[in-house]
Amino acid sequence: MRLPRFEYLGPKTLEGALDLMATHRDDAKILAGGTDLLVRMKKGLIRPKTIISLKALDELAYIKRDTRENRNNILIGGRTLIADIIASDLVQRKAPALSRACERIGAITLQHFVGTLAGNILQDNRCWHYNQSQFHRSGRGACHKDGGKICYARQDSDRCNSTCQSDGATALMALNASITLQRKGGRRRVDLADFYTNDGIAPHAIESHELLTQICIPIQGGQSAYKRLSYRSAIDYPLVCAGVLLIPSTASPTEISEARIVVGAMGRSPLYMAAASASLGGKKLDDTDAFQKAGKAAMDTAATFAVHNVGSTLEYRYAMVAEMVFQALTEAGEAARETGQKAANKGVQ
Amino acid sequence: MDKIEISLTINETPYQMRVLPNDTLLEVLRNQLDLTGSKEGCDEGVCGSCTVHMDGKPVRACLTLALEARGRKIKTVEGLATGDALSDLQQSFIDHGAVQCGFCTPGMLMAGEALLSTTPGPDEQTIRRALSGNICRCTGYAKIVTAVAHAGNPQAPCPDCRTQTPYLQAKE
Repeated sequence: MRLPRFEYLGPKTLEGALDLMATHRDDAKILAGGTDLLVRMKKGLIRPKTIISLKALDELAYIKRDTRENRNNILIGGRTLIADIIASDLVQRKAPALSRACERIGAITLQHFVGTLAGNILQDNRCWHYNQSQFHRSGRGACHKDGGKICYARQDSDRCNSTCQSDGATALMALNASITLQRKGGRRRVDLADFYTNDGIAPHAIESHELLTQICIPIQGGQSAYKRLSYRSAIDYPLVCAGVLLIPSTASPTEISEARIVVGAMGRSPLYMAAASASLGGKKLDDTDAFQKAGKAAMDTAATFAVHNVGSTLEYRYAMVAEMVFQALTEAGEAARETGQKAANKGVQ
Repeated sequence: MDKIEISLTINETPYQMRVLPNDTLLEVLRNQLDLTGSKEGCDEGVCGSCTVHMDGKPVRACLTLALEARGRKIKTVEGLATGDALSDLQQSFIDHGAVQCGFCTPGMLMAGEALLSTTPGPDEQTIRRALSGNICRCTGYAKIVTAVAHAGNPQAPCPDCRTQTPYLQAKE
């Protein structure tokens, strides 16, 4: 497969990149790792006239802790490589869910050295019927995402039902992360939960001249975990994934004060499970029963959104939502109890 | 959209060439330089048979623009052997019968080599993880994993290592 022709621009500074994006707007696409972009271009799903490469923007490659003015955040630059995030001790300790999710993106030794977390957040929604070769798609009418009026995933659907299969986004949303979008002459900060539009055709609330420059993860105490189910252990998108965050209450460290459950690969966006999360308030960190109930509640919510378009049967994926959420909660609960224990021991000494 | 002049260092030989922006590194290696060791399998980053090293790190040549490889040190499977002397890993692949149809082999060798350069003496799980980005459709994974584990590290109980006495003697 040949790539379609395009003009290649390699700005040397962030300013330069934003200038170019402001000039080219919709004609340009951003190239970081290329794992998602180049494949879509090869399949003729997008045909950008211009490619703006971030290769030279080393100023956007960093992982640091921000403790200015009582803030306590992990900041990750927009061009930080997935391999660097996996290797980061800070992320491993304070945001283990992200570490786990990054390990599962693509394959461990390949593409992690060029692929970025920002690229993973911005990866386009996928669908069995859409992510096909040009030849395959030419044999039938165009679907919603391809510019037509048909949905092959759900009959008579008036909208696109493509699925957001990003590992990074699910974990980051559970961690309550926000992102900075920068354009020429300005920037805005968006909570990741508001960034996903639940629209299959344009899944991200980003303008064509905006660049994702920074990911900010608040360090909130508590423990996070990420679980994922896919056919293959590598180079595969998740069929179901779940990211959770459990924050124990300060008064009684064995009880949950706040929980966040996010389920990915089941809808057009990662799905924040409000009811399931709320049901865990005040529960013990080892309350298996409550975890199972939360899993079931998440399954019921996810079932409204999922369509049969990423693999496996719907029934199996529903059941696995409950299981993935349960496993993630158990893991996070265990880790939180361990850290609680350690803190208590320290207090005694 | 004109061709752009770039310089690449491939297997320690510097090259000057003119490429289009939409040429991938794999196309340049195979079509312009006749380095056909790196294979084009799926061409969408799934199979791993096009794996090459860029500055010592394994990457997919089919998903790397030739322009993005500008000024980088590229190593392909052709660069593993020194003259006629095969590298430990290549010899080990032969000894253990880790090559069936051979199409995935260049990718497996490059992924294995990248692992061995950072982690000498890896255990099975580490090797399987490191090779998880490569597909072998002959499904001969067991022998490939053994070959990586025993590369430059012959094990006495392994019959494949033992039969290669000249190789073992050379090691001693």
